[in-house]
Amino acid sequence: MEKGRQRVKFSPAMLFKSQTVTGNNAVSIKRKFPARLAVGLFIAILIDTALQLVWKSAVLTLPHDGSPWLNVQAILQNPRFVFVIFLMGCQFFNWLMILGDADLSYAQPVTSLSYVSVFFLSVLYLKEAADVLQIAGIMFVLVGVWFISQTEHLTQTQESDV
Amino acid sequence: MSQTSIGVLLVVICTLLEGVGQVFLKKSVLGAVRWYLWISFGVVILVVESLIYTNALLLLDVGAAYAISSLSLISITLMSQCLLREKVTRMRWIGVCLIFIGVGLVVGRT
Repeated sequence: MEKGRQRVKFSPAMLFKSQTVTGNNAVSIKRKFPARLAVGLFIAILIDTALQLVWKSAVLTLPHDGSPWLNVQAILQNPRFVFVIFLMGCQFFNWLMILGDADLSYAQPVTSLSYVSVFFLSVLYLKEAADVLQIAGIMFVLVGVWFISQTEHLTQTQESDV
Repeated sequence: MSQTSIGVLLVVICTLLEGVGQVFLKKSVLGAVRWYLWISFGVVILVVESLIYTNALLLLDVGAAYAISSLSLISITLMSQCLLREKVTRMRWIGVCLIFIGVGLVVGRT
């Protein structure tokens, strides 16, 4: 057999990661911040915002008798929960794409920006009150995300077969 | 054990399950041979977590539940460092801690 020509097995890494596969499982990763990572994170924040708002409203419709089985039945019959599941599905595939391009410890904290968007939407559209501590909290989140954004988005260079 | 204590315990369990589930999903995109097993276990864990969390929301105020669930930021970062060998620098830890405090302040009062 010709040397250097190796059969590359399919893995979702090929779909979700910016990479070059060479021999011996070596994977070289582009360190430039990919545009699709920025888009993916933006979409993740949007979906997470919608998810939090819809889930919150859906949970309020559940019976408060404490029975898990009745709750599961109610969940399956409630169109809001069906929409929650749809959003979770979208989030799942988008999240896999993000994880292909970034560290878990980088991407997860950045998506906390959804707390900021939920807060502003609640104040602007639901007319919920905002106090000084909450605004201070928003500042903490924004500064925290800035700190994270100053770190390398991808620190892993290869993964051996597990 | 009071209902509130059970609710807090359930949310804390959810934060740990979130960390494990996310680590499994990350493993699936890292080029592992049995990626489908990682992804399957990850999805199962996250579905179980969602069901537990939904029940926890019935025992706790939504604000309190959200505030406690922000602990998942810490658990995910720790698991990324220990299980995935990601380089979590001091700057990243500072960012995570600031976000954790910030989320606590924002949602803890809702």
